[in-house]
Amino acid sequence: MGKETMNVELAVVGGGPAGLAVAAKAASYGVQVTVFDENERPGGQLFKQIHKFFGSKEHQAGIRGHDIGYSLLSQCEEFGVKTMLNTVVWGIEKNMLGIQNNGRTYTIKTKKTIIATGASENPLCFPGWTLSGVMGAGAAQTMMNVHRVQPGQKALMVGSGNVGLIVSYQLLLAGIKVAAIVEALPKIGGYMVHAAKIRRTGVPILTSATICEARGENEVEEAVIASIDEKGNVMEGTQRVLPVDLICIAVGLRPLAELCWMAGCKFMFLPVLGDHVPIHDENMRSTVKDIYVAGDVAGIEEASTAMEEGRLAGIAVAEELGYLGSEEADEKKNLARKRLESLRLGPFGDTRAEAKRKLTESEVNR
Amino acid sequence: MSKKDLIICRCEEVTEEEIKKAIREGADNVDAVKRATRAGMGLCQSHTCYTLIVKIIHEMTGKPIKEILPATHRSPIRPITAEILAKSKNM
Amino acid sequence: MKDRLKSTPGAWVISREILEASPGYPSKEELKRKPVIVIECPEEIPCDPCETICPRGAIVVGEPITNLPRIDQDKCNACGLCIPICPGLAIFLVDNTYSEKEATVSFPYEYYPLPKEGDEVNAVNREGEIACKAKVLKVRDPKSHDHTSVITIVIPKEYSNQVRGIELQQKVDKNE
Repeated sequence: MGKETMNVELAVVGGGPAGLAVAAKAASYGVQVTVFDENERPGGQLFKQIHKFFGSKEHQAGIRGHDIGYSLLSQCEEFGVKTMLNTVVWGIEKNMLGIQNNGRTYTIKTKKTIIATGASENPLCFPGWTLSGVMGAGAAQTMMNVHRVQPGQKALMVGSGNVGLIVSYQLLLAGIKVAAIVEALPKIGGYMVHAAKIRRTGVPILTSATICEARGENEVEEAVIASIDEKGNVMEGTQRVLPVDLICIAVGLRPLAELCWMAGCKFMFLPVLGDHVPIHDENMRSTVKDIYVAGDVAGIEEASTAMEEGRLAGIAVAEELGYLGSEEADEKKNLARKRLESLRLGPFGDTRAEAKRKLTESEVNR
Repeated sequence: MSKKDLIICRCEEVTEEEIKKAIREGADNVDAVKRATRAGMGLCQSHTCYTLIVKIIHEMTGKPIKEILPATHRSPIRPITAEILAKSKNM
Repeated sequence: MKDRLKSTPGAWVISREILEASPGYPSKEELKRKPVIVIECPEEIPCDPCETICPRGAIVVGEPITNLPRIDQDKCNACGLCIPICPGLAIFLVDNTYSEKEATVSFPYEYYPLPKEGDEVNAVNREGEIACKAKVLKVRDPKSHDHTSVITIVIPKEYSNQVRGIELQQKVDKNE
């Protein structure tokens, strides 16, 4: 019989960029950390990010995501972070987590909990969307970059945000042809540099266009695309059929926040951050005592922001648990906040910065 | 494929038409749609269909998206077999 | 199929005016006079590895980090270290002094297989259209580049302002 109840000083739910950054940071000050992740290996989206990251030196710019993942993992190891993989956290109540591992359930008693469960991909619903071969762009990325499997031979990408553009590029790297990228808005959503490197291979990016239908007997054989007007209605006569066997959907992400809802966290509706987002203060503390949030669950951004939020939360938790004096903690937190701020500058970041301010300045934090 | 047979909840195979019917009959929130149709009650616990259902409710009732909240999340949020739960002492 | 799509109204193209107006783009005179680094980074995104890696301080982003990279062509010796480090693959080296009628363009390339030095390939413009024939002069793929190779091709001089890559070397199904 296994032990049914375990005590953990800091439980981190989710071993992606945010969770690992929290764990490494908090553990570096002496906090006893256990990371729970439902996958067979830690790292979350980082090991799918085979491109070089943007940002500055402190954000590890110019380094590929998976290498950042390896360095986070080795930091976690160095500081004695425990990792429980293939472990599902299926419930939360105050300072208790219900987990399942290797065919058994356990109760975890925690002093502090970080919820860093990330995001899920938004679906798009059109006739044929349940056919085999229609998948989230992230799913295609997992198949290619983690499992080394080509998800198809010829793809249509729906959505031109950074996810759609980056995954299109990675499809090309994996030897998959990209017939087109369609974008419902009149302009591309992601960085121009990402769009430019795809355009250099001749892949058209069609704006004000959408997918109407996926066709095929048992799997995708064709995609019907068309131009749309300002109201989003398909313009008759513009439909075209593309012979593709893969349709990737990249129409945004949504915080995966069930545990926050279950724990009773208060939320704010902020579309720019993906949906209803758990309110947190400037230390990433949610509205529920001893529960913190970090990364995409606290608002959809990027892996680099997720890691900075993780570090910030890690410092804050170490301070609260008495491993770090308040003066030293303040100094370190301010540095982390400054790094976060710099990632939220410019036309792509300022609306997120504004939304994050609404969260941290919310009255319910007091 | 006709638009009528469009599946919204893949786990429970609930169509758009069934969801619209439930909304017409008064189900104006995600929880009510779930009770009426089983949409969101399957293995994935509404991870996929949630935003689609919100959109349909919004379009049919005019209720602002902001006010359409997810269904109540209860343990277990991930599928666990009854056998595993039964083996556990503390639950 | 591809060609028909390309002519569709609404297909997104990179505005050359925007690129040329950005502070990382050399002047016409500089382009003529010497090998120059061309930075095609016209949007304010938080990113500065080009500044960090430049040993001569020729590229400046500064504060805030969303500033567009500026390049001081007098300080720059066109060493090309900035080409593989740019996460946006947006930095090129154009040398219009290569020979009387030819120019070289160096660009980042992450696709496999890599072309080989001496290969005859098709050079493409920013929209992926074949612009002219090119000869591969150099393929540099040292460990420090971390799988972003820098390819240098020789092309007729008149195309040096539009060629920014080569046709992918992956096997193409000729029936399409």
